Amino acid sequence: MSILKKPDLTDPKLRAKLAKGMGHNYYGEPAWPNDLLYVFPVVIIGTFACSIGLAILEPSSIGEKSNPFATPLEILPEWYFFPTFNLLRVIPNKLLGVLSMAAVPAGLLTVPFIENVNKFQNPFRRPIATTVFLIGTVVSIWLGIGATMPINNAITLGLF
Amino acid sequence: AFPIYAQQAYESPREATGRIVCANCHLAQKPVEIEAPQAVLPNTVFETVVKIPYDSNAKQILGNGSKGGLNVGAVVILPEGFKLAPVNRLSTELKEKTRNLYIQPYSAKQDNILVIGPISGDKNREIVFPILSPDPAKDKKAHFFKYPIYVGGNRGRGQIYPTGDKSNNNIVSALSSGKINKIELLDKGGFIIHVTNSSNVESTQKISPGLELRVKEGDTIQLDQALNSDPNVGGFGQNETEIVLQSPNRIKGMIVFFFASVLAQIFFVLKKKQFEKVQAAEMNF
Repeated sequence: MSILKKPDLTDPKLRAKLAKGMGHNYYGEPAWPNDLLYVFPVVIIGTFACSIGLAILEPSSIGEKSNPFATPLEILPEWYFFPTFNLLRVIPNKLLGVLSMAAVPAGLLTVPFIENVNKFQNPFRRPIATTVFLIGTVVSIWLGIGATMPINNAITLGLF
Repeated sequence: AFPIYAQQAYESPREATGRIVCANCHLAQKPVEIEAPQAVLPNTVFETVVKIPYDSNAKQILGNGSKGGLNVGAVVILPEGFKLAPVNRLSTELKEKTRNLYIQPYSAKQDNILVIGPISGDKNREIVFPILSPDPAKDKKAHFFKYPIYVGGNRGRGQIYPTGDKSNNNIVSALSSGKINKIELLDKGGFIIHVTNSSNVESTQKISPGLELRVKEGDTIQLDQALNSDPNVGGFGQNETEIVLQSPNRIKGMIVFFFASVLAQIFFVLKKKQFEKVQAAEMNF
């Protein structure tokens, strides 16, 4: 396949870039026109077809008229707020609850600075960031499930 | 499971909070399920199934104190424009399924709300509702949309009558504190409990037949203490689902569009393969 361009290893500029872990766009299949002109439209049309199909087969429903004087039987926010909603209703002090919600982005923001000494980008070589990510994911899924349960099972999920 | 009580007392069976009014008298909470198609075409008959599960061995206390099977009842709140399918449009299969079910609209004004009950729960733990979807071409109120369907299902007798009186399917709480010095068993069933309080005043309390006492002679009871074990085996539950009123023209248009998309994608790939041959020949224009 001569469409795939081989890296020219006699070129000192390319060798210098490769040594730094860059320059990967100097070889392989050319972006223009193979990818940009022919494959991109395939993907774009596919995305359009998916969205249009969903919009027709499963249109979003119009919710009920809101009534500030009638509290719904089941109070639940959108699904992506479930973990913080659970924190808010479990923590007895409302100020602590709000602070715990604010602590989530604030805590995430510190992660790159804490592991700043680490020169690797690979997540397997960044133990602190990976640990924070994994624990954070598990905890938020756990709390999110708890948010859909009665308050006495909010933390234990009724498992123990 | 007496929808007529709700029909007389409430204009709409669904309160602003989303609670279905049956829960005002049927106090215990039990699950209920609904099965409806994901989408229906206009002016079509379809079925929704309300499932009211309960233990088949359960026996409840009847009004006269004897034990009997549970009754069930259900309410289905359809979107405006949907209504009960007329009998002449039912398929033979659907006719067979709904043969012994007397489903009626909630009121003359609201034929989109259907109620049924009380009916025997033995055979009717799954109630089939035949429903006719509206046609937006004729009915200006109906649109091609996604709509919610709310459903409430009940099994067993209620705890309160619309007048506010308690039924006998209840816990009886003590009217006074004191010591039980005598429990009198009545000929017709039921008990009279004689209680002497701390200042030696005797009072009596009647317990209707069929209830099982939790207290015995010589016990000291507190005001509002439960005197019998809870006889209620039933309960009410509510649930909701969504249904799409689907336009046949949209489906046709979508299929045409999908077909065109796939064709266009195939041609892009073919064109790429063709151009790769030009590249392979290292022709530069």
